[in-house]
Amino acid sequence: MNNTILLAAAVSTALISTWAVAQGAVTGDAAKGSQKNQMCKGCHGIEGWRTAYPEVYSVPRIGGQHEAYLVKALQEYKSGERTHPSMRAIAAPLSEQDIADLAAFYAQGGVKTASK
Amino acid sequence: MAARLLTFTLALATASAVSLAAAADLVAGKAKATEICLTCHGAEGNSTVADFPKLGGQHPDYLAKALRDYKSGQRKNPIMAGFASALSKQDIENLAAYYAAQPATVSIKH
Repeated sequence: MNNTILLAAAVSTALISTWAVAQGAVTGDAAKGSQKNQMCKGCHGIEGWRTAYPEVYSVPRIGGQHEAYLVKALQEYKSGERTHPSMRAIAAPLSEQDIADLAAFYAQGGVKTASK
Repeated sequence: MAARLLTFTLALATASAVSLAAAADLVAGKAKATEICLTCHGAEGNSTVADFPKLGGQHPDYLAKALRDYKSGQRKNPIMAGFASALSKQDIENLAAYYAAQPATVSIKH
């Protein structure tokens, strides 16, 4: 009985792992992400910071944003599908693991502002 | 002197007209948000679906820029392109102001 359950669990785990590898999924590590955000915090860590080029608007707040959305955003900057010049330059050298770690870090939530 | 006064008055009138045109209507924004955006981005922009970003408390000028870019095709997303293409400039201002005014779901992070 126990063996059957164990076997089922092992097979399930193996299947899930295979699926994850097939999907190219990497797991984000927020602690590692916190060590990789030197290029991010100069803009995304300052309340009210604005872009200067090619258009002036507020840099988005990303603390607490969905992890999957952040991964997608960085992948799209890396691929050129999203076109902001600074973000393209910053995302270009990031590995899939870097992207996952940064997304995990920012998804954890950020600084609550006094007005909100 | 009279000319100066006239110039000043004209400038004031122009400034008022501009600010009126750009003024966002939160009620209209909420109506449009409920009609179009709610299904994916959630109540008050607090999306519970990981693929769809949270919008509550986001900067209004960033939200407006994103919508303009979806509308123009500068930012490519088949879902958002359809919705944004139907929005007027005023709709975009209203929606951006509405979501920015909702309880914060995103914040800065150091």
